[in-house]
Amino acid sequence: MLGGLDYVVVIAYLIGIMLLGFYFKRYVHSSEDYFLAGKSLPFWAIGMSIVVSDIGAQDFVGVSGQAYRYGIAVGNFDWIGSVPAMLLGAFIFIPYFWKAGLYTIPEYLGRRYNDYVRTIASATWIIFFAFNLGVVFWASAKLLNTLMGWPFWQSIIITASVVGVYTFFGGLAAVVLTDVIQLVVMFAGGALIVVLGLYRVGGWDGLVDKITTQGHSFSDYFRLIQPADTKTPFPWTGILFGLTFVMANAYMIGNQAIVQRCLAAKSEWDAKASMVLGAFLKMFIPVLVLFPGLIAIVLYPDLKDGDNAFPLLVKELLPAGWGLMGLMFAALLAGLMSSIDSMLNSTATLWTKDIYEKYIRKDAPDRHYLIVGRMATIVLLIFGVITSPVSQYFAGIYVAIQTFLSFFQGPVFSVLMLGIFWRGTTQWGGLFGLLGGITVSALLYIFKGYLFQIEDPFLYVSWWSFLAGLVIAIVVSLFTRPHPDERLYGLVYRLAEPKPNTAQVRA
Amino acid sequence: MLKAILNALRYVLNFDWLAGVSMGAAKNVFLVLFVLIGILVLLIPNDFIYNGVEKRRWWLNLKLWALGDLAFIFITYYIF
Repeated sequence: MLGGLDYVVVIAYLIGIMLLGFYFKRYVHSSEDYFLAGKSLPFWAIGMSIVVSDIGAQDFVGVSGQAYRYGIAVGNFDWIGSVPAMLLGAFIFIPYFWKAGLYTIPEYLGRRYNDYVRTIASATWIIFFAFNLGVVFWASAKLLNTLMGWPFWQSIIITASVVGVYTFFGGLAAVVLTDVIQLVVMFAGGALIVVLGLYRVGGWDGLVDKITTQGHSFSDYFRLIQPADTKTPFPWTGILFGLTFVMANAYMIGNQAIVQRCLAAKSEWDAKASMVLGAFLKMFIPVLVLFPGLIAIVLYPDLKDGDNAFPLLVKELLPAGWGLMGLMFAALLAGLMSSIDSMLNSTATLWTKDIYEKYIRKDAPDRHYLIVGRMATIVLLIFGVITSPVSQYFAGIYVAIQTFLSFFQGPVFSVLMLGIFWRGTTQWGGLFGLLGGITVSALLYIFKGYLFQIEDPFLYVSWWSFLAGLVIAIVVSLFTRPHPDERLYGLVYRLAEPKPNTAQVRA
Repeated sequence: MLKAILNALRYVLNFDWLAGVSMGAAKNVFLVLFVLIGILVLLIPNDFIYNGVEKRRWWLNLKLWALGDLAFIFITYYIF
């Protein structure tokens, strides 16, 4: 329970973030200001924002819960599941996206393939983000309920109100620059619980000794690479093929919430540097979100639900009334709000640019699209709040999110990759690759009980659906006509517009 | 017949064909991957790396930043 100084810290934090976000209202005059912060953001702000947007309060709960059940193998998601993909994004994809002046990733797919691909990709992301909002809200409510005994709906509505205000008024600039503060607060709070927890269990050596004396082998909990026949969701084959080759790239390169920040960079160098910096910061995240789960194995060896590990640890380690509990609480709120604001702003961008402007009202004044973006933000917020109870039917919150992702990510990444690397990919190849991949993904998921041996095969599903999308797109492309090179300039790797020769210039 | 097809499908989908790979070899696959990415990063032309920078400085060379990232993750996977 919070008390005394804790309330001061939390309230000061909430008001400060809201005012900071609201301050950026004065810079929002156009839809570009709202969705891309006027293309003015520096690399350090974007890099920090990418990291904090990707890691939310649900990760403190979900990842520590997974670490409680499976050990450090869950850290693969932030290490190999981020760094190689972010470097690939920084040096190959992001420069093309930034130079093309895009607002959304589906916009790229529309230019590269056709409007069908654009619309399917956009609708997929809108649906994913909208439902993911509910998952994130429920995770926060669970956390606040365990920590403070707040009723679920009360927690959700308070969080939604604070985030709604600054996202509605300040747009992407408010989202990114509040994220910078959120990252600092989140790192401070997360480090606090890890340091105190390690001290309690006798440091790193004490942690290892106490876990192994409980009858677990060292390799059960302290190995990143798990055998191919493990019953956990993290066999090395899944980590390599599903996570490293597909999901990580799809998430870091094809995810509107991540890439939109890079599109708002003030220069191409800033866009690239933001990803490289983000990769560096991302490597510290497992220390914050995974260690509490390991510490909880020592302190609470008989928990039925691993997701309760982190909240229990916070209650036990942090004294109430001295501000430390407040700081930790603010860190969780920071993680939560930074995820929600990103999803809101990105989904509003997708809706406005890819659906509304494309199909509902073309050529309206720019001010109109700014208003539509703001309205979309509010509607999504309400939708997220209403659908949040659905997420409780999943055993582990983190696995639930990854399961949603694996459904669509593989096929979307397959057409994105072919689109940028192979000029021979045709519009129909892209369309059928995407649809075919999603169908395979759905079939694998429906029949997973018959086809897969591991507990939750989302990594395998993502790999095989990616491969299916790739093969289908290549085969269809071989039998259909590609776009002329003139249409593909700047959209395909190393296919730049030819410079006019001297004779033409003189003429 | 149907059972045989289902078993073959399971064998492929679950990567049973890689079950014989030892944990040491699997770990090396990851480490080699990091080295390979590092080599690819080194091959990127400097002009491309510095695009968008007004004045070239060595600390703005994103290759160095990327190699730092890769060194960090290599060590992590080497230890665990």
